[in-house]
Amino acid sequence: MQLSDRITGAVLVSLGAAAAWGGSRLPPVPGQDVGPAAFPMVIGFGLVACGVLIALGIGRGFEAPEEEGPAQSWFSSLRVLVPPLLLFFYALTSEALGFLLTAAVMVFIAAIALGARPGPAAVLALAAPPLVHLAFYKLLSVPLPAGILPAPW
Amino acid sequence: MDDLLEAIRLVAATDVLIAIFASAVYGLVVGSLPGLSATMAIALLVPVTFWLSPIAAIATIITASAMAIFSGDIPGALLRIPGTPASAAYTNEAYAMTRKGQAEIALGAGLWFSAIGGIVGTLSLMLLAPMLAEMALSFSTYEYFWLALLGLMCATLVARSSPIKAIASMLLGLLIACVGMENPAGTPRFTFGIPDLLGGIEPIPALVGVFAVSEVMRAMASAEPPKLPKRVFGSILAGQWLLTKKYQWQMWRGNFVGVIIGVLPGAGADMAAWVSYAMSKKFSKEPEKFGTGHPEGLVEAGASNNASLASGWVPSLLFGIPGDTITAIAIGVLYMKGLNPGPTLFTERAASMYALYIIFILANIIMIPLGLIMIRLASTVLRTPRNLVMPVILLLCAVGAFATGANLFSVILVGVFGVLGFVMERNGYPVAALVLGIVMGNMLEQNFVASLIKSDSDILPFFERPVSSVLAALTIAALLWPLGVWIFNRLSHRRITT
Repeated sequence: MQLSDRITGAVLVSLGAAAAWGGSRLPPVPGQDVGPAAFPMVIGFGLVACGVLIALGIGRGFEAPEEEGPAQSWFSSLRVLVPPLLLFFYALTSEALGFLLTAAVMVFIAAIALGARPGPAAVLALAAPPLVHLAFYKLLSVPLPAGILPAPW
Repeated sequence: MDDLLEAIRLVAATDVLIAIFASAVYGLVVGSLPGLSATMAIALLVPVTFWLSPIAAIATIITASAMAIFSGDIPGALLRIPGTPASAAYTNEAYAMTRKGQAEIALGAGLWFSAIGGIVGTLSLMLLAPMLAEMALSFSTYEYFWLALLGLMCATLVARSSPIKAIASMLLGLLIACVGMENPAGTPRFTFGIPDLLGGIEPIPALVGVFAVSEVMRAMASAEPPKLPKRVFGSILAGQWLLTKKYQWQMWRGNFVGVIIGVLPGAGADMAAWVSYAMSKKFSKEPEKFGTGHPEGLVEAGASNNASLASGWVPSLLFGIPGDTITAIAIGVLYMKGLNPGPTLFTERAASMYALYIIFILANIIMIPLGLIMIRLASTVLRTPRNLVMPVILLLCAVGAFATGANLFSVILVGVFGVLGFVMERNGYPVAALVLGIVMGNMLEQNFVASLIKSDSDILPFFERPVSSVLAALTIAALLWPLGVWIFNRLSHRRITT
């Protein structure tokens, strides 16, 4: 996800402008000059200024030269999205499926995506979730959901 | 004296001692695994600290961070991959020593001078914090505003990164802190009608996402690091006394610089190591040896990063302004445990403060035996396949985020911040500045708005009080520093070419 400075600079300019505009529309505190609008507006203008400077390439000289990684195929670079997608999967299904099942699926897919062989990945998926459950549910009393597969303890 | 005895009693409690030992082992292992930084280790510890006594909670953070910063030197020396960013400054040097067959000296120097740096840093914390506490009692919102801003500006002075991108990262963090109802009017701000956002975005999911999830994402895109060949080490501490005598001056300079950088709000161990290594090279009698496996810079920078770790607690304990990303997490834990940062902490909770000092000293002493064991086990620990470690880390991210609020929305936030951190890192935007912006946003805004209301929207009173004018000058200096460096480089470059 290597983007040019022009693109990230432009994103910052539009974000800053949106923040300043959105901030300016917040309702003021009656009888006071300074309210919830002041801070986001200052930040917004700051972001616009930074965005412009970045897009113009100012400050590049301070950056360390980019390390060239091996070229990635289009498909394998999509793999970086696996961890956040697995977290969304956890947020959506852990209530219904229960912690143990969700966690096992999550660990298995992550291990496979990282290049583990199916055997070790399956062992890890069976071993790690109960241990984590034991530590967090029993020792730290975090209310992890039971779902359709409750833990035996 | 009573306070000191009470402090010893607090630390000698069984739960505290177990916490210190367990977090030491945890910190050593996590710090030594490439890519898993000290900050990430601490962020994943937070849900655990919920269920510990206040002193035990602080003890886990102090011990784990000290161990992880040292242990980051191990893969740096053996594989040329820094275990934590604070080791990156001298990784090439340490690896060059290993290739010359001096792995023992490189690792031993990392361990020995880390422990010394940690102890010197602790002494400076004990000395400086009560002194500054007197002063801090008279601080008003103006001073707090400048201190917070100074902390943020120092956080943007990251080595090897564009200062403008760092400032943009920090502003982005401040903008994220704007979300929620905690603002001068108590109106929902930037919540987009999502009820989960009304309470604002908590720093912990952001930290876990930016430091841990983005690291798992990076592992997806990069090849597995090379396996460490099995090796048997000779005596590790043998040559260290000689080095201490030979490079005594460098060691003290490293300690001193580390302490100063640590006390500055916002600048932490990474910065201390870079500055000290550069300084060591600059003032060395034999600068040509640097980079070829010369221990001098290792001594100075290794002491420096651990010294900054302890003195980084000075601004955190006194003002609630983090010295670095690790203390940014620690401040949250302090509040949670009823040890609210502020100058009165040193008068009203003196025993707890003494306990904190004792833990620091203790952690740096047990670092030596445990560190020796860790170095000997390193080839085994570092053989753990990454594709089996990272999935567990990801699971811990989900559970840890859920545990902080018993709320699945935080798990989604962790994922979102993972993507944000990954994209930012890839494009040269330093994520530490983002995190400090998120942590300090509310404080900065409160003091900014309160000061403006007091002054009737006049800017002048911000500079009128003596301490606030000094802090303002420092802040502006930090802002203009990169410009100065740029002009200096231009001028000296011209002198060379003509």
